[in-house]
Amino acid sequence: MTHNVTIYSTPTCVYCKMAKEFFKKNGVKYTEHDVAADEAARNEMVDKSHQLGVPVIDIDGEIHVGFNRQDLEQSLGLR
Amino acid sequence: MYDLIIIGGGPGGISAGIYASRKKIKTAIIAETFGGQSTVSADIQNWVGTESISGLELAQKLEAHLRAQQGIDIVDGERVAKVEKTDGGFKVETQGGKTLETRTILVASGSRHRRLGVPGEDKFDGKGVVWCSTCDAPLFGGKTVAVVGAGNSGLEAVRDAIPYASKVYLFVRGDSVRGDQQTFEKISKDPKVEVMYGVQVQEILGDQFVTGVKYIDAKANAVKELKLDGVFVEIGSVPNVEFLGDLAKKNDVNALVVDYATQQTSQPGIWAAGDVTALPYRQNNISAGDAIKAVLNINDYLHKNK
Repeated sequence: MTHNVTIYSTPTCVYCKMAKEFFKKNGVKYTEHDVAADEAARNEMVDKSHQLGVPVIDIDGEIHVGFNRQDLEQSLGLR
Repeated sequence: MYDLIIIGGGPGGISAGIYASRKKIKTAIIAETFGGQSTVSADIQNWVGTESISGLELAQKLEAHLRAQQGIDIVDGERVAKVEKTDGGFKVETQGGKTLETRTILVASGSRHRRLGVPGEDKFDGKGVVWCSTCDAPLFGGKTVAVVGAGNSGLEAVRDAIPYASKVYLFVRGDSVRGDQQTFEKISKDPKVEVMYGVQVQEILGDQFVTGVKYIDAKANAVKELKLDGVFVEIGSVPNVEFLGDLAKKNDVNALVVDYATQQTSQPGIWAAGDVTALPYRQNNISAGDAIKAVLNINDYLHKNK
């Protein structure tokens, strides 16, 4: 099953890098928004997550704040 | 029944795992993640043998080195909930409901951010209250932020915020800065930075997001308010020892007291190394060395107590 995955990140955020590496390892395609540079994306992230902290990951409308491998595996049906 | 359970996946836990495997000790390592607290560092220049490496890369190398070992059971993605004494040793329970039994334990669970413990801190967690300045500083472009704490990590948080924020306050609790003086001189010269002394945060204010803080101005002996968009908390660390209960002796700040020659705690069968201990100097290299020392001592103990 293909999932609609978006990650909101900053260039300096290690947990964002971990999340992206996790997606790549599992062959999950994702769209990335750099919220340090893109203010519209930053506002979208705040609207979705009601908080200011990266990464925010949207999987088919389900919002994850931070990088928790187990949670992502569950949402993506990988476990 | 294991001979050794290592708790923690930082430089200490991983070094211990490698040595335990090479000593053919029947070992399990329980770690929520690998790499430890320096995983978020942009650049580490003091990991011996490596001139420069990012925290993430070091974490990945450490994990790979551990996974290359034979005969060690790796329980990852799990946090230890409880340790209990049994007849032959100890029972270790994880938050995920796993139970493991062992003759000895090495606690290398490190430490975590100390919280201010004031109203608003939990409520605005992630809503302007920041625990990872490297991660989240870019979200405060054009905003006003305060860094609480003037140790090295506080000064680094100021440095992280300067390229983005329009104004950065540094709240110093006393009348002097504890962190590196060179770094302090550099950041305090930046026109965006204002250092405030004698500041004790009383409350973090906000509606949906942080809007400011209420604080005691010790010099003026008055309670004041300051408008802010972000509060970066960097007031030191607390050891991750709750799961041990009263099994081993701790000092006044809850760090495990160990014999520096062997890393043994007051509880026979339990050793500790790294930031969770009361020993001074929080360094990756020291955690690694102390954890290795512990494993070698555990190896002697296991041979003597067959």
